[in-house]
Amino acid sequence: MTELPTASGTAALGAAVATCPRCGSTNAAVARFCEECGTQLTPVDGVAAETGPAAGLESPITVSARTTPAPPRERAQLPAAAPPEASALETDLDTDDTVVIARPCANCGGVVGSDGYCQTCGTKAPTGRDHYTEQPSTWVAACCDKGIRHFRNEDATAVASDPGRGGRAVLVVCDGVSTSVDSDVASLAAARAAREVLVAHRPAGMGVAASRAAATASAVQAAAAQANAAVVETTAPGSENAASCTFAAAVIDGGQIVFGNVGDSRVYWLPDIGTAAQPAELSLDDSVAQARIAMGVSREEAENGPQAHAITKWLGRDSPDFVPRIGSIEVSDPGWLLVCSDGLWNYVSEATAMQSLVATLSGANPDPLPLSVSLVGWANEQGGKDNISVALARYEP
Amino acid sequence: MAEFNAAVYQNEFLPDGGTDVNAIVTISCSGAGTAGQTGSGDAGEIIIVDTSGSMGRIKLEAAKAAAAAAVDQILDGTWFSIVAGTHQAYLAYPPVRTGTGMARMDARTRYEARQAISLFRSDGGTAMGTWLTLAGRLFDSVPELAQRHAILLTDGENHNESANQLTAAIRGVTGKFQCDCRGVGVDWQVAEVRRIAQALLGTVDIIPSPNQMGAVFAELMQQAMSRGVADAQLRVWAPQGAQVMFVRQVSPTVEDLTGRRVEVNPLTGGYPTGSWGDESRDYHVSVRLSPKAIGQEQLAARVQLALGDQVVAQGLVKAKWSDDDQLTTRINPAVAHYTGQTELAQAIQDGLAAKAAGDQETATVKLGRAVQLAAQTGNDEATAKLRKVVDIDDEETGTVRLKRAVDKADEMALDTASTKTTRVRG
Repeated sequence: MTELPTASGTAALGAAVATCPRCGSTNAAVARFCEECGTQLTPVDGVAAETGPAAGLESPITVSARTTPAPPRERAQLPAAAPPEASALETDLDTDDTVVIARPCANCGGVVGSDGYCQTCGTKAPTGRDHYTEQPSTWVAACCDKGIRHFRNEDATAVASDPGRGGRAVLVVCDGVSTSVDSDVASLAAARAAREVLVAHRPAGMGVAASRAAATASAVQAAAAQANAAVVETTAPGSENAASCTFAAAVIDGGQIVFGNVGDSRVYWLPDIGTAAQPAELSLDDSVAQARIAMGVSREEAENGPQAHAITKWLGRDSPDFVPRIGSIEVSDPGWLLVCSDGLWNYVSEATAMQSLVATLSGANPDPLPLSVSLVGWANEQGGKDNISVALARYEP
Repeated sequence: MAEFNAAVYQNEFLPDGGTDVNAIVTISCSGAGTAGQTGSGDAGEIIIVDTSGSMGRIKLEAAKAAAAAAVDQILDGTWFSIVAGTHQAYLAYPPVRTGTGMARMDARTRYEARQAISLFRSDGGTAMGTWLTLAGRLFDSVPELAQRHAILLTDGENHNESANQLTAAIRGVTGKFQCDCRGVGVDWQVAEVRRIAQALLGTVDIIPSPNQMGAVFAELMQQAMSRGVADAQLRVWAPQGAQVMFVRQVSPTVEDLTGRRVEVNPLTGGYPTGSWGDESRDYHVSVRLSPKAIGQEQLAARVQLALGDQVVAQGLVKAKWSDDDQLTTRINPAVAHYTGQTELAQAIQDGLAAKAAGDQETATVKLGRAVQLAAQTGNDEATAKLRKVVDIDDEETGTVRLKRAVDKADEMALDTASTKTTRVRG
């Protein structure tokens, strides 16, 4: 968020701490792994530049507000390895911000023990993995939450964006399959791997919209493959219950949206109410419910029927097919690009209903972070039966 | 250096509105070392032998041999005394009247102690409280002792003391030393001696025949010498507002520790466990919580073992409220097993007490239930011992008939072994 202390007011996006999404500890921006729990952290620009095939043509975009040490243009000129000012920042952070403060128990205010439970009331302290938000810029944000009924957050989000509105943004949501082992680890690894691919593969200097869309579409496919590899890595070969998760990604660049999905996490385009455009569910679920809808069963009946949540495609070691269904649209009206898990859409499936919910919760506020948090809060109020992921980008032509 | 481990067996899942969490916590110790040899303080052993008139020549001679056999097992360097007990307690060795009432074991003191034992004469009555009190004072006379253990042998009822006097004596030495008690023959009271053993964190058993005494004593002393961890405390933390329903040791024997709680801090109770060798013990902890919403998780108990102020092992007992019946209705096999074994111990003791009081009906019902539980929980030793007291018509339903003629020793053996449990079958 822009509240983080920074060297200059407008360089807020260059704030240089990384909050570990698993345990909530504060790490130096350049840290690739959490000091506290070893979770792999959001890659810094240096990493993205390394993986970019041709740095000259494809300039990496800002990965995350909290992890980006300098504005993008300067970075593009830097060598691919860790920039010198990043190490200077790291030194500063060591003395200032890296002190881990024991958080009091959310239930009673008591001291949380090293075993993760309150020493007074025994309530399990939520981990950074249970609930976290991301905001790489003022127009892109995500909120990921355990929900109420589940004991673990097996959802994951990963977002990235250019600092300026109307630029390029990447939204990824992966929903771990709860019957598989370590699906919380797998989904986070998958979402981040996909984001890394989509951040690195930036088509630049290409002429027509169609060719740009095609290039991004192949990047989405590569992102799904990389995400699948990350999930596969989570479980050993021969595992009877291999980790698995869904995949939904959307890239918005100007008015062009390219999206892809595997499983039942969704991508919605929600133009503001009052504009001429219609809201749309862009993705198509790979689920039993969707198959029944295709056979003529009503959406309401299918989505509440037997095995409604059984998915027919997923990422993971035992995945028969992880090639995403990909599409693209051009938009010209102001609105919200939303990528979410079924923890949200279970309560509001139709695109028009989603549009009104978003309108109600956002008011006229174009800031995506409070909206993502409100959507998660709203889903929890409806019962919070599943983990909830919401990733948003605000588009204003 | 001794190492401790804790493992928790439980069903963490509670239904909506569920409050009671039960868990079996297994605490294992390895590398315990030898008593008094680990550098954490000296060990002391006292052998207390009944020399009352009822012992007679045969039992007394066997008791002398047994005491000598125990002396032989005491390692050099260990502090020790020999106490002869009648209606009074006599310090038989070392031959002192004031000052330090124990001697360090070496070749000379071993020889002298054996000489002192050979001079025992059978005379007088029985007042076990005085024996315990003397043992307590002897241990107190050696401040460097970190580990204190006694073996007590008796053959008869505590005729020369009131129950209250014995209770007061037990209370006076509780926490000062551990005591394994053995009764020889069939003229002693299991309940009376069990009271001493339980308070003093020891075992109770019958030695039916005098010629078995030597082997029993030697083994008891060997065991005591192999307990290199002088003293450990079980600690149970429960959240604010929760109620610890009970804390029981359930293996190797059932011992209810609930009433022996001392406050470590307002949320943590400490329970004595005495000394440890290389072994593992199981504890059943039951906690009642205020129910939380579906999807909430909380800690129901931290079960720890502490040496002094240092916590050396910890197990976490958890509660997760779920609406999934498949999860919440599962009964943990370890919890079920030990719940059955605890009830088995009680059924045997209640059945034998009813039988002794002439209440045949209650005795038949209780011992029938015991037969049923022993079969269900696979406690073959209990089944074998029950068979000597009742004729079993149907194990499954617990239908039994009391035997007309029962060997008193068999009945006492059933009683003393009632608290022994078997482990969960794999």
